[in-house]
Amino acid sequence: MTSAAISVERLARSFGQTHALVDVSFEVRSGSVCALLGRNGAGKTTAVRILTTLLSADSGRAQVAGFDVFSQADKVRARIGVTGQTATMDELLTGHENLEIIGRFCHLGAATSRRRADELLREFDLVDAKDRLVKKYSGGMRRRLDLAASLIAEPEVLFLDEPTTGLDPISRREMWTALRGLVARGTTVLLTTQYLDEADQLADTIVVIDRGLVVAQGTPEQLKASIGRPHVVVTLPDLDAAALERVRGLLGDQAEIHGLSVRTPASNGLATLSAVVTQLERMGLPIYEVGLEHPSLDEVFSTVTGHSDEAGMTAPATGKDG
Amino acid sequence: MRQQAVAPAASWLPWSVVDAYTATSRYLRRGMRQPDVIFGSILIPIIFVVLFGYVFGGSIKIPGGNYRSYLMPGLFAQAILFGSNSVAVGIATDMSEGVIDRFKTLPIGRSAIVIGRAVSALLLGIPAMVVMILCALAVGWRPTGGLGNAALAFGLYELFGFAAIWLGILVGLLAQSSQAADVIMGIPTFLLGFISNVFVDPANMPAWLRVFANWNPMSALVTAGRQLFGNSIGPPPSGVWSLDHPVVTTIGLAIVIVAIVAPFCVCRYSRTSR
Ligand SMILES: Nc1ncnc2c1ncn2[C@@H]1O[C@H](COP(=O)(O)OP(=O)(O)OP(=O)(O)O)[C@@H](O)[C@H]1O
Ligand SMILES: [Mg+2]
Repeated sequence: MTSAAISVERLARSFGQTHALVDVSFEVRSGSVCALLGRNGAGKTTAVRILTTLLSADSGRAQVAGFDVFSQADKVRARIGVTGQTATMDELLTGHENLEIIGRFCHLGAATSRRRADELLREFDLVDAKDRLVKKYSGGMRRRLDLAASLIAEPEVLFLDEPTTGLDPISRREMWTALRGLVARGTTVLLTTQYLDEADQLADTIVVIDRGLVVAQGTPEQLKASIGRPHVVVTLPDLDAAALERVRGLLGDQAEIHGLSVRTPASNGLATLSAVVTQLERMGLPIYEVGLEHPSLDEVFSTVTGHSDEAGMTAPATGKDG
Repeated sequence: MRQQAVAPAASWLPWSVVDAYTATSRYLRRGMRQPDVIFGSILIPIIFVVLFGYVFGGSIKIPGGNYRSYLMPGLFAQAILFGSNSVAVGIATDMSEGVIDRFKTLPIGRSAIVIGRAVSALLLGIPAMVVMILCALAVGWRPTGGLGNAALAFGLYELFGFAAIWLGILVGLLAQSSQAADVIMGIPTFLLGFISNVFVDPANMPAWLRVFANWNPMSALVTAGRQLFGNSIGPPPSGVWSLDHPVVTTIGLAIVIVAIVAPFCVCRYSRTSR
C-alpha cells in the first residue's frame, strides 16, 4: 500500500516542436506539500494541467488520489481542487454566486454550497465584496476568490499554479497560513512557484524542473546540502582594507572579499569554522562576526537550472570548485 | 486521517440533469446581467420591421396581398436564425477564458455546460421574439389561421431556433477565436437568411438561385409559418418536396440536426487537450 497522493512516472508532452515535458517523474506523499519549481516555460503549468485532467500526455503515467488521471478522470475530478495560473471566475457573477455555483457543480447541494461560500468568503477576507460583481474586483481579490473556489468541496488533493503571484506581502503570508491550516487537516498540496522563499517556507519536498526535465528533487535541506557546502564568513566592524587582506591571506586561495566580509568554502563544515576562529584569535584583529553560511535555495536553483542554459542568462554556478 | 466536513448531497434526479440545470441557471443569470445585449436583441427586430416593412417594402408589390403581412413570418425566421450567431460568439469566448478550464476539473457531466448554453440561449431569445410579435401586430400583421395553428407555428420557430443554436455552439467550439466564430457563423446565416423566400418569392430569381432558395430550410420554415398564420399568397412552387411538406420538413430537419450536432458538441467540448 503506497501513501503517495500524487505519483507521476515518465510523463512527456509536446506541443508541435515544443517539448514542454520531456521526462518527469516524482511522487508526493499523502498529506505533504510539494513545490514544483522552475523558470518561465519550464513546464510547470503543463504538468499541473495533465494532473488535473485538463491535458493529455504523449506518454507516461500519472495517478492522483489513487486514480489514473487518463482513464479515471471522473474519479480524480471528484477528489481535487484546482487553482490555475489564469483567473477562472465569472466576471458577470458576484463572488458569492461564483462560489455557490462551483459548490453546486461539486454536488454539495444548494444549501451547503451557500454555507461553504459564506465560510470561505470570510476565511479569505472577501465578505465586504461578496455581493459585488467579480469584474469590479482587484487582481488580488480575484486570486483569493479563485483559491477559495478550489477549496469549496474540501478536496483531498489541491493543485495551485502560482497561488501567490500578484498578492501583496500580507496577503501572501495569509495565504501561507491558510495553506498550512489545510495541510494540518490532511490535504495534499502541489503548488508551483517562482518564489524560492515560498517553496522553502511551505514545501516538504521540492521538485525542480527545467525544460521539461526534473533536474533536482528532495527536501529543501537536502537540496541545499547537495549543491554547495557551507561557507565561513568573517565580518569586520569597519572597512579596513589592510585587515581584510590579512584575513583573506589566512583563509586561503578561495577566499573572496565582499564589502566588510571575507567568505571561503568550509570544506569540513563546523571543524573549518572552529579552526578559523582559533587562527583569528591568534591574529588579534577586531572581528564583528564569524559564522557558517549555508547555500540558499536561490543558489540551488541557479546551479541546477544554470547548466542547461545556453543563453547564459543565469548567474554563474556558485558553491562549486573544480 | 483526513477530516472532511462537507459531504456530497443526495439527489433524486440524475446528477447530469442537476448539472445541466445549474449550468442553465448560471447562463441565464449572466445573460440578464448584460442589459446592452438584451437591448440589442430587442432593438434589432424593431429595426428589421421598420427597414424591410417600410423602407424596402414600399417598393415591393406582391399579387393579391399585403406585403407586410407576407413579410412578418419571414422576419420571425430571420430573427431566430440571426440569434444563433451570438451563441457561437459566446461559447467561443467561454472557451478562450479560464472559466471553462475550471469547469473541466469539476466532477460534472460532460454535457452539462453545452446543454446549459443551448437551453439558456433558447430562453433568452424569447423576449426578443415577443417584441418582434408585438411589432408585427403594430404594423398590421394578423394571424388569421387560428390560435392553435399560431401556437404550432411559434413552436416550429423555436424548434428551428434550437437546432440553429446547436449549430452555433458547434461553430463556437471549432473556431479558434470569438471573432472567427462570428465570421464563420455570419456568412452562412446571411446567405440562408437572404437567399430564401423571406423577402420575395423565389419565382423571380435566376434558376440556379431559385433552386437554392426553394430548398433552403429557411424557406420551408417560412412557408410553414405563412400557412399556419394564414398569410400565404398562393400555393408553393410545385415539385419542391420541402415546400410541399413544410411542417414535416422543419420538424424532421431540426430533430436530425440536434440529434447529430448535440452529441458532437459534447465530445468536442470534453476533449481534454485543445
Ligand atoms: N497550448 C500550448 N500550445 C503550444 N505550446 C505550449 C502550450 N502550452 C504550453 N506550451 C509551451 O510549453 C512550454 C512549457 O509551458 P508551461 O506553461 O508549462 O511553462 P511554465 O513552467 O508554467 O511557465 P510559467 O512560469 O511562465 O508559467 C513553453 O515553452 C510553452 O510555450
Ligand atoms: Mg505556468
